[in-house]
Amino acid sequence: MATVRIPTPLRTLTGGEDQVQAAGDTVKDVIETLEKNHPGIRERLLDDKGVRRFVNIYVGDEDIRFLDGLATVLKASDEISIVPAIAGG
Amino acid sequence: MSTSSPERDALQHKSALVVGVGGLGCPAALALAEAGVGRIVLCDDDLVDSSNLHRQILFDQADVGLDKLLAAERALYRAGARPFSIELVPSRFLPENARKLARSVDVVLEGADNFATKFLCADACFLEQRPVVHGAAVRLHATVLCVAAQGAPCYRCLFEDLPRGAAAPNCAEAGVLGPVVGFAGALMADRALSVLLGDASVFGTLVSFDGKTDRARELRLAARARCALCSAERSIETITDDRYTAASCAA
Repeated sequence: MATVRIPTPLRTLTGGEDQVQAAGDTVKDVIETLEKNHPGIRERLLDDKGVRRFVNIYVGDEDIRFLDGLATVLKASDEISIVPAIAGG
Repeated sequence: MSTSSPERDALQHKSALVVGVGGLGCPAALALAEAGVGRIVLCDDDLVDSSNLHRQILFDQADVGLDKLLAAERALYRAGARPFSIELVPSRFLPENARKLARSVDVVLEGADNFATKFLCADACFLEQRPVVHGAAVRLHATVLCVAAQGAPCYRCLFEDLPRGAAAPNCAEAGVLGPVVGFAGALMADRALSVLLGDASVFGTLVSFDGKTDRARELRLAARARCALCSAERSIETITDDRYTAASCAA
């Protein structure tokens, strides 16, 4: 089961949790699990073309764009980070 | 990074532009001044508001209603350890002044509160071949991205283009926590000082800070193969107004 680090803008969907556990063999599977447990999160991460262009998803320190994208295969110990574009200060 | 005497001497001959004298720009400018950067250019057109004071550390209650640039200039001269010059640009960072401002300095620190300015700054800095440090903070989350003059990776490698529509809530809704934005502003200055002193290792790094857990993670980015700004297939060659329509705060 992968650990998914949830950035602040998405924590309204996870009840304030900054990290959650989600099952899945691939990043796409994990996002589907997230959607079941936290409805609405998939739409914030994906559009009909794949990962939204102002969201980046990392497995460990690797951007999934440079792995196999949403098909990236996960190990149980993997940590997934979501880095959205933010503007503020 | 800490600065030794020779480094401070080197910084005396360097210059930096701070885009946005807000929660990020205030601590960043203060750190640059204290480190001995010889010329600091501040760009903003706003007035000090009482709602700014919890995070915009160059201002106090007596500054409310004053021009931010004048209040910041006074605070920086009061704090600076060495003689240095401050130039004030009482304007927003706009398509008409972006390239001229970028090429006037050795490094740019971008702490804007909107995506339009972020992308404009990224584009202007690449077109003028200037390194840029992008900072952002919303609620408990902050990011700092350091980009080389030649990009690869650049801000557009990471986020491609402006988020638009309902997916981008505004800053007033999102809110900004003082210590989180202070951390990010100080880190922006730290990265800018590294750049000014010739340390290329910071280029292409994204620091993501979580103020709830107080954890900072550094990710090393890769260039996007078809980046519109910095790849061989780039399409952005000029600054045009229509590319920078307003959008704000967080995905």
